[in-house]
Amino acid sequence: MSTTPDKLVERYLKHLEVELDDVPRDRRREIVDEIAGHIAEARAGLEHESEADVRNILEGLGDPADIAEDARERFDVQPPAQAQPFKPGWMEIAALVLLLIGGIVIPFFGWVIGVVLLWASNAWNVRDKIIGTVLVPGGLALSAFLLFYAAARSGEGTSLGTLCEADPATGQQINCHRLSTGVSSAGVDFTQVLGTLLLIGIVVVPIVTTAYLGYRLRHRPPAAMA
Amino acid sequence: MVAAGKQDALLAQMRKGTLQYCVLALLVNEERYGFDLVRALAEMDGMVTSEGTIYPLLSRLRRDGLVETTWRESSSGPPRRYYRLTKTGRTALDAFRSEWGPFRDAVDHFVEREAG
Repeated sequence: MSTTPDKLVERYLKHLEVELDDVPRDRRREIVDEIAGHIAEARAGLEHESEADVRNILEGLGDPADIAEDARERFDVQPPAQAQPFKPGWMEIAALVLLLIGGIVIPFFGWVIGVVLLWASNAWNVRDKIIGTVLVPGGLALSAFLLFYAAARSGEGTSLGTLCEADPATGQQINCHRLSTGVSSAGVDFTQVLGTLLLIGIVVVPIVTTAYLGYRLRHRPPAAMA
Repeated sequence: MVAAGKQDALLAQMRKGTLQYCVLALLVNEERYGFDLVRALAEMDGMVTSEGTIYPLLSRLRRDGLVETTWRESSSGPPRRYYRLTKTGRTALDAFRSEWGPFRDAVDHFVEREAG
């Protein structure tokens, strides 16, 4: 027996399996097994099997996509076309804009309105809503405030303020590190790097979160549908 | 005038809807395995366009309890799954028959009138 017919059959069955992906597992198995059996029976009935014979058998069975469509209909499985991209409305767009810059336009309350819209919309699931609320509260308003604060606390360059440890014996603050982004004359130490990363993060994270929520509008998880 | 595409879809639906009763009817006197059923159905032109679509149907009929299956050894290869009509299947077939006869005659009466 030549290997080509085997390859053809193998490819057909694999194709069928993929097409039946959204049919419940046990039914998919049953259908694929039965069709594999059908092919085996048909091939066993041939005297001298040729590639053309096998192609005829597979063609008689039909396009795997047609079989899968039939199976979906028989088992009331929603066709994949159902997964249309969600059309974002004004509420979703307003929520994203307000979450990011609402706190700057109307201090604090702009962001709060954004959160209310975020939770009122059914475009996102709970996980996304929590991400949108927690990363970062206030949105860019908080970033702006912190940048402003850091700049005010530090003469040269921006700083996130000062990290201190309290001496357990005296209660005095010791081991103070200024979280600075300015390159001091002593060179770059760990706290400076950390400070810089924090500052970058506080600006980047709200932007990334907003971009992520925007992405989720177009690629909704199945759980959020229906 | 119905558009050609719509008419095709309508015929496909009619075929799909009646196919299961043809399968049940084939199982009235004997149990059969899948390939054997397909061969019997394919003897009549126009009944099955894609043979593979029989298998989702058989799976559905089994789940609905209209047929039941048994595996049997085959002399010529791996074991075969044989389909057999259940009591429920027989009832469903009888119910369909009593509707289908008058319906077919009525359609014939109008559609075939021109042809004489």
